[in-house]
Amino acid sequence: MSTRALPPKPVADRDTQPYWGGVAARRLLVPRCSSCGDWIWQPRPLCPRCHAPDPTWKQVSGEARVVSWTALHPPVLPVWADSVPFVILLVELDDAPGVRMLGQLVDDDGRLLKTNGDAEGLAIGRRVSLRWREDEAGQTLPAWSLV
Amino acid sequence: MSLRRDKARQPVIAGIHSLPYSKDIGMTERHSGALAILGALEDAGLTANDVDGICRYVWQPTTEMEMARVVGVPNLRWFGAQDYGGGAGPPTMALACAAIELGHADCVVVWRSRNRSSGGRPWAGQMLAEGQDQFERPIGIVRPADGIALLVRVWMNTWGWTREDFGRVAITIRGHANRNPAAMMHAKTMTMDDYLASRMIAEPLCLFDNCLETDGALAVVLVAAERLADLSLRAAPAYVTGYALGSGPQVYAMTNYYGEDLTRSPNSFVAPELWRNSGLKPADIDVVQIYDAFTPQVPLFFQEFGFCGDGEGAAYVASDDCLTYNTSGGGLSEAYVHGFNLIVEAARQVRGASTSQVDDVSHCLVTGGNVVPTGAMVVSKEPW
Repeated sequence: MSTRALPPKPVADRDTQPYWGGVAARRLLVPRCSSCGDWIWQPRPLCPRCHAPDPTWKQVSGEARVVSWTALHPPVLPVWADSVPFVILLVELDDAPGVRMLGQLVDDDGRLLKTNGDAEGLAIGRRVSLRWREDEAGQTLPAWSLV
Repeated sequence: MSLRRDKARQPVIAGIHSLPYSKDIGMTERHSGALAILGALEDAGLTANDVDGICRYVWQPTTEMEMARVVGVPNLRWFGAQDYGGGAGPPTMALACAAIELGHADCVVVWRSRNRSSGGRPWAGQMLAEGQDQFERPIGIVRPADGIALLVRVWMNTWGWTREDFGRVAITIRGHANRNPAAMMHAKTMTMDDYLASRMIAEPLCLFDNCLETDGALAVVLVAAERLADLSLRAAPAYVTGYALGSGPQVYAMTNYYGEDLTRSPNSFVAPELWRNSGLKPADIDVVQIYDAFTPQVPLFFQEFGFCGDGEGAAYVASDDCLTYNTSGGGLSEAYVHGFNLIVEAARQVRGASTSQVDDVSHCLVTGGNVVPTGAMVVSKEPW
């Protein structure tokens, strides 16, 4: 039996299942307090401000701007040995002010870019758009490409 | 509200011990930890029969009860553990100190033994991503360096910090290691050219921005001040003058990205608490041991603890006014043992026994790992 190198697998729980259900359908869902309207990230069972239960899952466009990024170099997990350097972005969503999410830098077709971002002129504040990437294990993940 | 302080119950570091650092210590963490504890007890003129409390890091694989069995402690009146990786150093000491101050225990052992070199990289084996990890590890935020790198870029962008600023930290700490025969990097010097030429790990962090990977074991014995008269210590006692913990709002360990302000770390919440409960101010501190898993934690420390203004940490580190820091070589160049070497080195500075001894040390400040929930403490030459 071959042992294929795989990336870490996300394990959903009751509080995060709606997010992963959205991801599987290529819809980016962000929890928002049903009472005070605050956006919440990462997901949790109650609004940390007003303690209202059952946040509402709102679909967002994923349009965002870059807050920060890193580029990975060896040593990395075996699954990424041939993919580095690649960029991980921290982005702030236009539709959900204050919500910062992580995702890989990909091309317009959702393919991981082998770059440290220099060639693309990556910078804090750059505009990015949501793409969907299928990872090495077939897991769909939100990712972003430079506008 | 100020804390009540009872001079008789002031916690005192009465014994310290560290095993030689290596890439492969050749024994279990249970074994090396026990040897460190027995060495620290001997340093304090005590035996396992005197121990009535043990505190550990949550990440310590040997529990307090297992360690009590190994070294033969007859009864534990106090035990517990503190979480958050390298953030747990001063908080674990604080757990022991609080027990002593309140009278729950008279003699508490704190230790850290870690086969971080021969035992492999913990990040390399975690293939299921649960909790906060489910949004981070699958895309590649796996190593501690990956987590902090995104924050470091924000700090560089906000305050104009440069790679040379971080190189200066690495070189200064390496210089201390070059004077410390116990340091892993004792024989290896570093120049700015060396630093700038080192390979990238998680941009903007290069290899020399990262701490070592080491096997090591260290322990500290804390007693109540009123017990000192009964003991025959090998060296001067190091009095714990203050200790504090802090988290800040919406805190995440390493990937502290989701709160409001990316330029404030948990240390900015520890600092005012430490100054309040120690009754000290930055000008009272003679030498500091700063948790240095990554070079940028050093300038951030100086500004968040008020040794300089907000955003001035790198300029302060480059200035002649900068306080002496990480005199044993720290995590970057002595050994990476989740910061416990910093605690032991603080006691050595108070004893006058450091290989980079600062003159007339009254107070040494020690911090825990930052951008995780953390803590800090001050050890002093004189009691309250």
